[in-house]
Amino acid sequence: MTVVTTDVAAPDTRKAGRFVYISAVALLCAWVLVPIYFLLINTLSSPETVNSFPKPFIPEFDLGSLQFFAGFAGMLTALKNSVLVAGMTMIMSILIGAPAGYALSRFDFRGKELFRLLILLTRAFPLPLLALPLAVMFIQTGLDDTVFGLALVHTTLAIPFSVLITFSLFSGIPIELEEAAWTLGCTRLTAFTKVVLPLILPGITASAIFAFVISWNEVFAAAVLTIENRTLTAFLLQNLDTSPLHLKFAGGFILVVPALIFIFAVRKYLFAMWGIANR
Amino acid sequence: MTLYSKMLGAASGIAMACTAFAAQAETLFWSTQAKPVEEAQAMREQVLSGFADGVDYQPNDGGPWLTRLQAELQAGSGTIGVLGALHGDFSAMKPDDLVDLSDMGVMSASGTFNDLAKLGTDSMQYIPWMQASYIMAANKDALQYLPDGADINALTYDQLIAWAANAHEAADEPKFGFPAGPKGLKHRFFQGYLYPSYTNGVVRTFASDAAVTAWEKMRELWAHTNPASTNFSFMQEQLLSGDAWIVFDHTSRLAQAFNERPDDFVAFPAPAGPTGRGFMPVLAGVAIPKTAPDMDAAKALVEYMLKPETQIATLKATNFFPVVDVALPDDLPASVKAAGDAVAKMSASADANPGLLPAGLGDKGGDFNRVFVDSFERIVLAGQDIRTVLDDQKGTLAAIMNETGAPCWAPDAPSEGACPVE
Repeated sequence: MTVVTTDVAAPDTRKAGRFVYISAVALLCAWVLVPIYFLLINTLSSPETVNSFPKPFIPEFDLGSLQFFAGFAGMLTALKNSVLVAGMTMIMSILIGAPAGYALSRFDFRGKELFRLLILLTRAFPLPLLALPLAVMFIQTGLDDTVFGLALVHTTLAIPFSVLITFSLFSGIPIELEEAAWTLGCTRLTAFTKVVLPLILPGITASAIFAFVISWNEVFAAAVLTIENRTLTAFLLQNLDTSPLHLKFAGGFILVVPALIFIFAVRKYLFAMWGIANR
Repeated sequence: MTLYSKMLGAASGIAMACTAFAAQAETLFWSTQAKPVEEAQAMREQVLSGFADGVDYQPNDGGPWLTRLQAELQAGSGTIGVLGALHGDFSAMKPDDLVDLSDMGVMSASGTFNDLAKLGTDSMQYIPWMQASYIMAANKDALQYLPDGADINALTYDQLIAWAANAHEAADEPKFGFPAGPKGLKHRFFQGYLYPSYTNGVVRTFASDAAVTAWEKMRELWAHTNPASTNFSFMQEQLLSGDAWIVFDHTSRLAQAFNERPDDFVAFPAPAGPTGRGFMPVLAGVAIPKTAPDMDAAKALVEYMLKPETQIATLKATNFFPVVDVALPDDLPASVKAAGDAVAKMSASADANPGLLPAGLGDKGGDFNRVFVDSFERIVLAGQDIRTVLDDQKGTLAAIMNETGAPCWAPDAPSEGACPVE
């Protein structure tokens, strides 16, 4: 290595660069995949194997842990509620967040900076602090223990992200495109739906995924604001931390899988945003 | 068309499911206990299924549990029928918010527990529901390293340290396990075991010379403790995985180890110090919030929980022992037998020095625990000077006691007014 002259350094550097590139990709993939793979292995292992070390690399397909959850009362209802709440959160946060993002990027109005700051403020207060007055209000108004009520809270949590993401998306699309559409016979609305919307769809998907994940992962409000209509996270997560290891893995697996399926389902919109359009 | 009819079907199905839920008039049992999924399942299937009107058992973390309860109390209407929680959870509440249960006609067999349940008032604020304690457990492979002449059922702290040292040497890594993790119950070890065993007190003797000795012993023990203990909260996991051979923990947090491999582990009493064998009970109770939607059903459920059959079913489900007089059956799980034996030996030992749960601290219970956890972290983990740390923490402890005016509890000598830190 030390006798390499500068003449041959150029292809060598390229080779090294390629090596670094590939190993970085492999490392990043492993970073995400290895924990999920171990989660899968442990989910499909008997309690004895879960507690043993080293772990086998091939799952032994012991379904005991998963069977326990299959018989766990209320799992399916909780899963249904989780999907409903996350879906409603997604739709509402886009419906409310995208227009706000559009307004922030296209119009100048007084208090614009303050408005941007205020949007972030909804995340400034920890939920355990807000949950008590919220719960009192929900009980008094009848929103308590409803999927819609919880979706409202989760929407509030997701809005800062959807506003800021869509704001930067709209800012990235030249106003000239819209103006051109207007001159070619589009109204403000059709210019938006025919020109701007297709361009920002991937970004909207990204913020929808954000909203979905925020709602999916939220425990505290869900645990306080719902009783009969619990979400899967509220139903399982707070019981898992004190459960035996093999059930922790199985429960974690059950919590992760629906979110993974959802992200896989919408991935092509997400990839399109990063310029790897595969539509 | 088919899609439309499918969606219509799905929508009506969901609507029907919702109405089915709304029609249930089950009593909501809002609990901080029996939280692990297996225990929750057992509570629902084996304990509460016998209650005629149906129970919706919902175990929660402490935060959501209290927040929901406070919200219902503030809103003046609620869905929670019965509360299940530890003594400490109830003592943090306003007695007015709980229904007076004195005329229920049920109570525990222990006068001490019934007094604790009054929370400093004249009437029963909750009914004692179940009890547990903290014990030691060890892998049977570690028994060969017991120091000469040591009786596992009558260990002293010095023998425990020597044992842990032998195991350390034999395994070439520290094998004592201590629940010092974020969810671990380490503070109870100091309050109910170490302090009573060395100082015959908890509050009065907090910064005494005997306490300095106690912390020195703790340091010696820590030298043979698996340093990953700061991540351990449920020692059954480390027993099963072999990361720890000798451990201290709550009986129900050791249960899984005994139930999975009953022949591999042994449970035994906590060690004794110069002032006896300190140990502490854990007491859980059931109460009714004043906003309970159906008071009669709630009271019926409380009565049901105290029935001998229910108490035995609860024992099997949660590893918490009955508080009423019952004859224990023979078909108990291995964990219950092991823990029951150890607790019985501990309380029957000649040098037993039982402590009580901290009482009268109200919502300062967490701050009280913090004093002990902070002392542990500074003395043992950070290696600070014991005398300095204790003198520092003494002020905080005295402030808590003065603010709450809590009188001393056993093993501290009784006090007039707030328990003094001497």
